[in-house]
Amino acid sequence: MGNFSYVAPLDLEGLLAVKAREKEKALLLAGGSNLVVYIKDRLIREGTIVDVSNLKELAGIRLEAGRIFIGSGETLTRILESPLIHEHIPFLSESLRQFANPLIRNMSTIGGNIADASPIADSAPLLLVLDAEVAIAGQGGRRTVPLKEFFISPRKTRLAADEVITGFSFAVPEKGAGKFLKLGLRRGTACAVTSVAVWLIADAGKVGEIRIALGGVAPRPIRAVKTEDLFRGQELTAKRIAELAPALKEELSPIDDVRGSAAYRRAVSARLLARAVRLCAGMEE
Amino acid sequence: MATYDIVLTVNGREVAGKVAAETTLLDFLRDRNFIDVKRGCDHGDCGACTVILDGQAVLSCLTLALQARGREVITAAGLGSWEHLHPLQEAFVEHEALQCGFCTPGMLMTAKALLDKNPHPSREEIREAISGNLCRCTGYQKIVDAIEAVAHKGDK
Amino acid sequence: MKEEYTYIGKRVAGLDEKDKVLGKVIFAEDYVMPGMLHAKVFRSKRASAQIKKLDVSRAKALPGVTCVLTAHDVPHNDSVKNVVGQTTEVGLLEARHHVLAVDRVRHYGEPIALVAADSPEIAQDACELIEIVYEDLPGVFDPLEAMKPDAPRIHGDNNVIANWQLRKGDVEAAFEQAAVVVENTYRTPRQEHAHIEPESGVAWIDDMGVVNIRSATQVIEHYRDVASVLGLPDSRVRVLGTLIGGGFGGKEDITVEVFLGLLAWKTGRPVKLTFTREEMGYGRQKRHPYVLRYKTAADKEGKLLALEAELVSDAGAYVYLSPWVLLYSTVHAPGPYEIPNVKVDAYSVLTNNIMTSAFRGFGGMQVAVAYESQMDELAKSLNMDPLELRKKNFLKRGSETANFQPITSEVLLSEAGEKALAALGERTKGSKSRKVGRGLACSWQSYGRMTYLHDTANAWVNLELDGSAVVRSGIPDLGGGQRESLRAITAEVLGLKLDEVHVISTDSQVTPPAGTVTATRALFMSGNAAKLAAENVRKIILDEASELMKKPPQDLRLHDKQVLARDGSKKMSLVEVIKVCAAEGKIPQSLATFKAPFTDPITTHIIRDPVFADFTFSAQAAEVEVDTETGVVTLLKHAAAHDVGRAINRNRVEGQIEGGAAQGIGYGLMEDYLEEQGVPVTWNLHEYLIPTSQDLPELSSIVLESGSGKGPYGAKGVGEPAITAAAPAVANAIRDALGIRMCHIPVTAERIFWALREEEGKG
Repeated sequence: MGNFSYVAPLDLEGLLAVKAREKEKALLLAGGSNLVVYIKDRLIREGTIVDVSNLKELAGIRLEAGRIFIGSGETLTRILESPLIHEHIPFLSESLRQFANPLIRNMSTIGGNIADASPIADSAPLLLVLDAEVAIAGQGGRRTVPLKEFFISPRKTRLAADEVITGFSFAVPEKGAGKFLKLGLRRGTACAVTSVAVWLIADAGKVGEIRIALGGVAPRPIRAVKTEDLFRGQELTAKRIAELAPALKEELSPIDDVRGSAAYRRAVSARLLARAVRLCAGMEE
Repeated sequence: MATYDIVLTVNGREVAGKVAAETTLLDFLRDRNFIDVKRGCDHGDCGACTVILDGQAVLSCLTLALQARGREVITAAGLGSWEHLHPLQEAFVEHEALQCGFCTPGMLMTAKALLDKNPHPSREEIREAISGNLCRCTGYQKIVDAIEAVAHKGDK
Repeated sequence: MKEEYTYIGKRVAGLDEKDKVLGKVIFAEDYVMPGMLHAKVFRSKRASAQIKKLDVSRAKALPGVTCVLTAHDVPHNDSVKNVVGQTTEVGLLEARHHVLAVDRVRHYGEPIALVAADSPEIAQDACELIEIVYEDLPGVFDPLEAMKPDAPRIHGDNNVIANWQLRKGDVEAAFEQAAVVVENTYRTPRQEHAHIEPESGVAWIDDMGVVNIRSATQVIEHYRDVASVLGLPDSRVRVLGTLIGGGFGGKEDITVEVFLGLLAWKTGRPVKLTFTREEMGYGRQKRHPYVLRYKTAADKEGKLLALEAELVSDAGAYVYLSPWVLLYSTVHAPGPYEIPNVKVDAYSVLTNNIMTSAFRGFGGMQVAVAYESQMDELAKSLNMDPLELRKKNFLKRGSETANFQPITSEVLLSEAGEKALAALGERTKGSKSRKVGRGLACSWQSYGRMTYLHDTANAWVNLELDGSAVVRSGIPDLGGGQRESLRAITAEVLGLKLDEVHVISTDSQVTPPAGTVTATRALFMSGNAAKLAAENVRKIILDEASELMKKPPQDLRLHDKQVLARDGSKKMSLVEVIKVCAAEGKIPQSLATFKAPFTDPITTHIIRDPVFADFTFSAQAAEVEVDTETGVVTLLKHAAAHDVGRAINRNRVEGQIEGGAAQGIGYGLMEDYLEEQGVPVTWNLHEYLIPTSQDLPELSSIVLESGSGKGPYGAKGVGEPAITAAAPAVANAIRDALGIRMCHIPVTAERIFWALREEEGKG
């Protein structure tokens, strides 16, 4: 039998107090789609389940001075259906439709998805290309960390044992277009074999700015910064786009697993990247 | 082992019980005779356990009973009766949108949640909505037909 | 087909469907009894090992645990036969199995111990306290390797546990004469049934001392095996079959029944056992993976001249139904075509992989992938339209198959092929990176059991004093509406409304034996039995009414609880006639037996005699789009045309076709239960992928009715035939899109990706 207790803190202060006291034994329950599975599989056998699903401080989707803030407790469905998101960054709502299925989206939170730090967490590439920041709170105070520095390995992030993610923020891009392409082994409820997100700002036929993020090709979701550097300022042509592939492959460290081989992931990511860039640039697929 | 007292509303009736921290809503319901909520995989992969919680279709096997405390749950048995089937139940029977019937309660809840939110979905939207509910018998064809038929009638 | 029927051929909802949408059905796991214990099976975590030490003492001592059983607690551990539901002994290929491992495990997941405890959690805790020490033994995981003389032996002396052959004509001579010869090796996957309801049941000992087992099973005859394990007479064990939440052959072999019987008998208390989804993966039989080498030859007009094939199936660690699956494959290997020269050698080989056994299609699907791929390759070589090539070779009524069986039914394959293709409509346009292709596949699949098993089914129909009817039949209901068919047929014959016919089914001690719900036999066998019984009851009524109404019986009919003169001149209430019958001691009841054609047992490896009563002929067509950058296949359209003989219920027949096509599409594109050195890799429904609603297009089901089936009203069976042609249709569509033949199914994106890159490398 498991050895669990349950608390539902009423506010962030209460949550942080529990975290400070219980540290790793505090098991944050937001959507439950990860934690409950770990408990069922007896991968976690004891702890204090800390229900954060009703905390107001972790809720909310708002726009402030050109930045969008999404509370870590917001479900993917709520983000997807948010009129604010739809108006200012439809790339996010459209892309989130590829996340699992509506039932899971009704339950999963963006905070839970990021904190679980799976290499194939679908919300990660999206937030990475938006250059999102992670807002963190602990009893010692608050801080922000760029998302691209936040992941370490599966289920491991830069959060200290007494800290929680309160939300994410990113500047609403004034220009440019984004695209998220996910390769799954089936269309419905697909886990990504590999996925690519791109944000491209074209500038008089050249690459003004480009941000590239990938899932499923490393121990964590990554930004392909070297490839970005290479491409920045280049001519936005099919020829140049094709040259991205070898550069990208250098930055990847995929593995063989039941969903696909490392070689396939490497090869297909490059093609998906080229396709995503072409689509952002309004070229033929 | 820590236990907690909870009360929630299921199909319009108050249901009380003692649960452990990790007791799932699925187990809570089935232990109280709501056997229409099915356990297909217990890991959130099949959708057979779908219930409506405060208006949202969720997987009861991945929801803790404690999370449903004080909230409203609807299951397939609460949709209609032998004398008065819910329009969705009637459409499922008429269109033969079921064979073995095991995925059906969960499928009905997802369908109801869909039509409550989007009364006139396209066939593609229906397919997206039920993509988390696996069916091995029907190939989904008649399920989509049945849900669409109810949508066209304008009933929910 | 000129008669006017009330129910036959119509789209009429049944009563069971209403119970299902209301959530009222008590499925196997829903049943509870006071004082019920919860069981769990402790299983091997090695694929091939000696058990050096097994200590269950700590498990037994855990509070809340009632008992822990191992092999030496089982009265007759070796008695479990896997010759399922037979009415006669067959010998030759009977194979034995055991309930719990003694000192050796041969596959991952092999049952070693049984725990019964107060809750499923405590039962699992107890399993974790069982101490076991293994010593690994060499294992073999490839059937081709397992055939070699130096391979580790799984059981006995020979890993090859079945061999069947077809010999007709002279293939060598024919190959020499041929204008085209196509040779390929195909590989098909281990498919998991993935029924949404897990295997489950509850057992208890009733007040008569009978061990009752209420479980989701396709075979209530398992009571005999449980009785022999317990050392009890057959009549002391009873199996009550529930409405099954999907089976597809996965609930055909014994699943929970023997464990439940043992635990109930040992503890004297009710016990429940439900398999977890992961346990369903490694603890239950799968579809046999096959390696199929096919060499097919034709003349320049496209007439097939010869087929030489070698089939090797992976039988897993225990024999189960492997020899019969192989037999089906062998007989079906040539496809629904006239081929004058045939040489087929089929082998089923033991390995240390998860066991393989019955699955919808029962060996007919694997060969369909091969024979239909070959037909398209021949068509390509001859520059001929794929359907035109097939039309030149289809079997027809009177044709003789390669096992010398005459085809007695009509064969509507040409029409089926045309209609399936036509239903795809206008061809979708592709683009530079998205290639569109179309494919057709035709299939044959038997319905009814192998005729040398002398299959029979019984049904008992009676009229109550109030004019309502009761049908009793042992047949289990898989979800395909087996019970509803009996209701509809009885209502039709006796002129009653559907809710005036009550069906009592699936109780081994109460309902007349009707056999298994397998081999697409339920409608054919039980439908015929119910029809016979109902007709006998009708005769009793009309004979009596004839005397009372002074009209010959043939001038009378039953409708709406009335006996009516056909010329409209007289009528009498059914209830009145029944009253008179009862007063005269002529109870309106009948216990009828329907017999399938009986043939002699097969005694040699070369199959030279009729094996099946009849076949269902089908065609399916698919249109796919392949993304050449990623290899991802999108199925755009899919159509299926099946000659069902006679559709008893139109909705249900379409439902079978659509569901079968979906399951076959999964087989063709995404389903593969993977193991590495015998250890599963695809553990559950998160990794083993079956089609969701977004993975299937609109499915077109076309019902053809030749009326030439052996079932009631000329019906044929459609349960298994619905699945057979789906995967080859998709494979042929991919071939059309890419110009590359994918011989290894499922045709995954990665496989296509590398095939395309290799092709580009050549160019």
